[in-house]
Amino acid sequence: MGAGDTGYEERPRGVKGLELYRSLVLCRELERALCAVNPRWFPVEGEEAVVVGAFCDLRDDDAVAPHYRGPFVVYLMRGAELWRLAAQAFGKSAGYNKGRSVPFNGPFGSGVVPWVAGDLGTSLGTATGAALAFKQEGSDRVCVCSFGDGTANRGDFHENINLAAVWQLPIVYICQNNGWSISQRAATYLPAPVVARADGYGIPGVSVDGNDVEAVREAVSEAVSRARRGEGPTLIEALTSRRQGHWAGDKRAYRRETDTVEREDPVECYASRLLERGEATSDKLERIHELVAEEVAVEVERARREPDAGPSELGVEEVYA
Amino acid sequence: MSAGTNAGEARSTSSEMEDRSTKRMTHLEGVIDAIAREMRRDERVFFIGQDIGPFGGSMQGAKGLYEEFGSQRILESPISESAMVGAAIGAAVFGRRPIVEVSFGEFLPAAMNQLINQAPNIRYMTGGAARVPVVVRTRMGDGPYGGHPQDYSAWFAHVPGLKVVVPASPADAKGLMTAAIRDDNPVLFLEAMSLSHGRRGEVPTDDHVEQIGTARIAREGRDATVVTWGSMVPPSLQAAKSLSREGIEVEVVDLRTLAPWDREAVLSSVGHTRRLIIAHEAWVTGGFGAEVAAAVAEENPVNLAAPVVRVGARPVPIPSGPLREHALPNAPQIAEAVRRVTSGGGS
Repeated sequence: MGAGDTGYEERPRGVKGLELYRSLVLCRELERALCAVNPRWFPVEGEEAVVVGAFCDLRDDDAVAPHYRGPFVVYLMRGAELWRLAAQAFGKSAGYNKGRSVPFNGPFGSGVVPWVAGDLGTSLGTATGAALAFKQEGSDRVCVCSFGDGTANRGDFHENINLAAVWQLPIVYICQNNGWSISQRAATYLPAPVVARADGYGIPGVSVDGNDVEAVREAVSEAVSRARRGEGPTLIEALTSRRQGHWAGDKRAYRRETDTVEREDPVECYASRLLERGEATSDKLERIHELVAEEVAVEVERARREPDAGPSELGVEEVYA
Repeated sequence: MSAGTNAGEARSTSSEMEDRSTKRMTHLEGVIDAIAREMRRDERVFFIGQDIGPFGGSMQGAKGLYEEFGSQRILESPISESAMVGAAIGAAVFGRRPIVEVSFGEFLPAAMNQLINQAPNIRYMTGGAARVPVVVRTRMGDGPYGGHPQDYSAWFAHVPGLKVVVPASPADAKGLMTAAIRDDNPVLFLEAMSLSHGRRGEVPTDDHVEQIGTARIAREGRDATVVTWGSMVPPSLQAAKSLSREGIEVEVVDLRTLAPWDREAVLSSVGHTRRLIIAHEAWVTGGFGAEVAAAVAEENPVNLAAPVVRVGARPVPIPSGPLREHALPNAPQIAEAVRRVTSGGGS
């Protein structure tokens, strides 16, 4: 156990100020670009700090199971190529999934927990299993798994967190609570904060401002350290806001005029903090934004020119190993 | 094979055991022997289930495993079928080789999402990159205690990506469990509950692997083919024995695996008997027998001398207690079906 055995650093890998900012911007720009080309894409806008903060400090040998809203930036952290991810949003043959699965599935082999079913909660089982594998092999690898507040009501939430608590598995569960379950507001499905359930499993529960990337990061890092020490799972509830519809083409007729986004924009929030601390200049931040937007545009365009998945990707011979 | 083998029972693939050391075991002991041997030879294999600790498992189906391997590899779980199966799938994807036991087949629906939406799809949906070497073991159908008798096997054979295995002899129980554990795909291993503590049979004591997807000719015959599996193999053999006294020679094909299933063995048998009966414990409507009948109709290996007959449970939820025998198929019904297809003209 420990850093000496694996060659990996024990503590956060030091994604710092501007690099973290770049990840937030990349998450936003990439997801916006995908929404522009695929009306069925699920916009992450407003929730980027949860996604980036939850996964930015992991080791390469850890497992990641991000929520379907905004997962591509996590796969990029695991070494995926942007154009091949974008190809998945188009259903192109160049996608890691060969155009087969729901597009938010990630490249296998880089610690990404496969997301192959369109239903919610099923991936909690697979993620919990990754943590079980790590415990069985006697390593100090961990799994970080995020999901929505709607998903938190699936039976798999209860079964898996309870199981992980009983077996003391090295996993961190993060509820990316954006206050909406498709068209339903939280009052129709959440009678109490998700984090309150942690007590029932006898595990730590942490509520965090999901629009503050540093706060998310700190909470997750602490939970990851606990998991590495063999002290079992943690449930984190990151409170955030969905600024767009459920999917890109969602007309949002269910929204009321009185619905306002109370939380601060997570990207702007972190930008202000960098400026206040003197860790960046406005010019520098704008430049990062420009470069990221440019890169995304080029890569998405590259994906768009790829051929659609066709008969050669149908892959009858790849159903069984 | 040892003494006690029925005259007329054909050689099975596992009958090449003349020079091998064998031991008489029950079906259940064959399964446990396979699990224990694989756990000894591969440290990645571990076992998840309920009551599999000092209690020894439902119907003693894990007897001795906890004593030998301890709580690190014999994991007692909360009653959470979806999480148990889901976590086993995840552990398999991340390099381990778990066996997860769902105590009874009636409980499989509680893990349906993992069994249908997840395990079979992972390899395909990851572009052929991931492997899912997980065995989901359960006890299906009617048993000695009359509990949990519903047989849902056909649901699982419908889905590409799962293998569905149903052994009917102690030797096959061991050989197919060994194969299932070594398989890189998700395998649903269905143990016919009525066979678990049934008649003992000779089982090789050494490494014994049967090939998933191959049928076994359990008895040779020229007049009619009975395709069957699991719990209906012994009544089919019993029917064949009594029909033999009437001058009707029945060939009994023990399918052993529902997915992938051995079409060639069935087509070849029907090709020479020209009569087909399918006998399974589950309901007839939408049962796996329909798939067998359809394949024979499509391939049409020979003009059949009589219509196909399916024998299965009556169309009611299988009741409990003494009533259940009125719902379940049995040897006389199978024999009657054979008489029907062999009586008229046409031969």
